[in-house]
Amino acid sequence: MTRPTFAAISSVLVEKFKVDGALIEPATTLEQLGLDSLALMEFVFAVEDRFDVRIPEERLDPRQAGVTLEQLAVLIDEAAAARPGSDAAAA
Amino acid sequence: MPLPPSVRPGAPVALTGAGVVSPIGNTLAAFDAALFAGRSAVRAQALDLPGIELPPVPVASADFDAAAEEAPSRVPLDRATAMALAAARDAARAAGLAPGSFDPERLGVYWGSGMAGAATFEATCRTVYADRRRMRPTSVVTTMPNAPVAEIALAFAARGAALAYACACASSAVAIGEAMRAIRAGWIDVAIVGGSESMLTPGVLASWQAMRVLVPLGTVANDAAAVAACCRPFAAGRNGFALGEAAAAFVLESAAHAAARGATVGATLTGYASNCDGVHITQPDATGQARAMSAALADAGLAASDIGYLNAHGTATTAGDAAEAESVVRVFGPGGVPLSSTKAIHGHLLGAGGAVELLAALRALSAGRLPPTANVEAADPAFAIDLVRGEARGAEGLRAVMSNSFAFGGTNAVLIATRGA
Repeated sequence: MTRPTFAAISSVLVEKFKVDGALIEPATTLEQLGLDSLALMEFVFAVEDRFDVRIPEERLDPRQAGVTLEQLAVLIDEAAAARPGSDAAAA
Repeated sequence: MPLPPSVRPGAPVALTGAGVVSPIGNTLAAFDAALFAGRSAVRAQALDLPGIELPPVPVASADFDAAAEEAPSRVPLDRATAMALAAARDAARAAGLAPGSFDPERLGVYWGSGMAGAATFEATCRTVYADRRRMRPTSVVTTMPNAPVAEIALAFAARGAALAYACACASSAVAIGEAMRAIRAGWIDVAIVGGSESMLTPGVLASWQAMRVLVPLGTVANDAAAVAACCRPFAAGRNGFALGEAAAAFVLESAAHAAARGATVGATLTGYASNCDGVHITQPDATGQARAMSAALADAGLAASDIGYLNAHGTATTAGDAAEAESVVRVFGPGGVPLSSTKAIHGHLLGAGGAVELLAALRALSAGRLPPTANVEAADPAFAIDLVRGEARGAEGLRAVMSNSFAFGGTNAVLIATRGA
């Protein structure tokens, strides 16, 4: 997980979803954020749009118990690396 | 056991608060100022439709920031739903309807809208077909026809009822009337009622233009004063309306409930009737309209001569105004009631029209003045009606008012309100 990715996820949570910043830690699970299932889906969409990536459905179901913000950030980093035109994809 | 007087069928129901978001103002003071001056908010809007050349259309939009309205559900709000929430919150504030002042299980929300979610639905179509982007997880709950009623119910924790009425241009008049019946019948004690509509989007506007019911702006599209004056209800040579967007809300409650919580009763809703022409999908029918007005008078226990002002449906279409002029004469006699159409200034508000126009009638009742029909030099000589035009007309002692709403699909709805408790 990269620091900028986590910071960007945090800012989406605070600015768009009005989540208390004190709650937001890498180990925080999505269910601990206090968002309902619909808002969780919107949150993942918003994060994907921010990074211009898509996390494959089979890699993440935001409604699943125990998924942490750190795991989400790792998935975002992986998706960004796999994006056509990225340094990692070109390598 | 006999029912208490406040819930006896035919009993008056108290109106204890109102709120509005409209092209002619988002506060009652601003609304009154434009209403009694006959100041039009109609302007020209270009139609941005890729690959299709269409002339601009007349519209009346509200000065309203939808993004600033808090969503109780936390999902994105359609513009019309945001307007609905703003009006409902203002009405509840005006009525002093705070948590603890009512039993949530006895509170209902009754709301009308012709095409709630229309603006978002059109935007989602663009997202998929033009922009080739994905749908949002919240698209369904943002566009569903009961989104406004659902959000208002959430905002006030209403547990008694949350009912959405879709009968085109009669939607909110029907919602208000059905809430009145529910209160009379004792199903609920208090209701937040009204209607909302916002569909000033290119696809929807082009659809109305295709029906040839919007005023064709022709060569005056760039002349703001001429566009503002383009809709001329009940005038000879009238040629249609402008589409508008708005929401209006009221708090309705049984007299006993209003008294128990010490609410100020501004006016009472005394009569309601709804029926159907059963004749044609769009053509109005004077017989159905006259039956609805007579039934509302009977419901209120009033004679036609008791009504001191009629806010007409008055769409300014050739056929619409002719049918209404005929039905009004059948019920009231020639020149039997002063009437005006305020659509000339706020546009045709579709599902929100019944609520906004009831508000206009209530403002007349409270001020003892009748709002004029703007933009009209003289009524069509074919009509035997007393058209209020030019300046607002003084009406001291005004005791009872009527508002007509006649819809595509044949639904007619008529509401009657009287002054005070």
